[in-house]
Amino acid sequence: MRYLLLVVFATVLLTASAQKQITKTGTIEIFSETPLFTIEGTNKKVASILNTENGEVVASTLVRSFKFHEALVEEHFNENYMESHAFPKSIFKGRIIDFSSLDLSKDGTYDIMIEGKLTIHGETNYVKEKGTITFADGIISASTEFPVSLKAYKIRVEKAYTKAIQDEILLKIHFNYKPYSKK
Amino acid sequence: MKKSIKIFLVIIVVGLVTGLSTVYYVFNMPHRNIEKESPSFTMDASALYGDFSKDEVLANDKYADKVVEVKGEIAELTVENYQVSIVLNDEMEGVNCALDSLTVVKNKEMIKLLKIGDAIILKGKCDGFDMIMGVVLTQCFIVK
Repeated sequence: MRYLLLVVFATVLLTASAQKQITKTGTIEIFSETPLFTIEGTNKKVASILNTENGEVVASTLVRSFKFHEALVEEHFNENYMESHAFPKSIFKGRIIDFSSLDLSKDGTYDIMIEGKLTIHGETNYVKEKGTITFADGIISASTEFPVSLKAYKIRVEKAYTKAIQDEILLKIHFNYKPYSKK
Repeated sequence: MKKSIKIFLVIIVVGLVTGLSTVYYVFNMPHRNIEKESPSFTMDASALYGDFSKDEVLANDKYADKVVEVKGEIAELTVENYQVSIVLNDEMEGVNCALDSLTVVKNKEMIKLLKIGDAIILKGKCDGFDMIMGVVLTQCFIVK
């Protein structure tokens, strides 16, 4: 009996671990364009875990991992706008709506809705955005693209720059997941 | 032309040239050269992780944005074209190093031979501590 319990317990543990998908090399691209100034930044150190049992998603990254073409923009991004010394990370915690209606065994790209709490610059807002998820040979990848308002996250832009930097910054996010297997 | 007008014109031209070149320089200010910068800290990956897990705020003040040279054992290796990530000591509770594309190009053959368990020394910019990735270093260069 004790042996049986052990086997059951081990199987549960194994299947539980197989239901998590992870990545540590996700990407976020940020983009803002005005007639005066174009800002483009890329972060290739974005981590995410997707629970394929209930569609729960967490994603997190460090603000300092964003790279910009101009060193000056990178410096201002960290020091004046994101204040990365005080708020070093950005985190999303939420879920894919109606994840259970998706058939993981059928290859293809599906439209999804993602909702949850997004924390940037120490401010947390509820977000609900469109995205896509792709199943191909058992590999899951997901993408989403949406604007965030600087005001909503209390990111202050000096008056002199309000014409050069949009309030809405476009985020393009992409994850290629791998099954999470931790011994 | 009067002498005073000439002097005035020269001053304006000189002023414009210095002004514009300053603006040009500031906008094209070079990026930090992590490869040439000597590390602020040289330590074992486990010690760096230990400092962050003990007191994240304190460790951020100490290490963030600094160049850190870490020594550790490869626990996870991700190679996607020119994007290479090496996690030292432990997949979740370790130091996650994203290699700079320059070092990837330069050490292409060496990277192919890397395997889990190998000892390695890397140097990179410390970005902080993440709940999934552990301590994150970016723009890392292979030291040894």
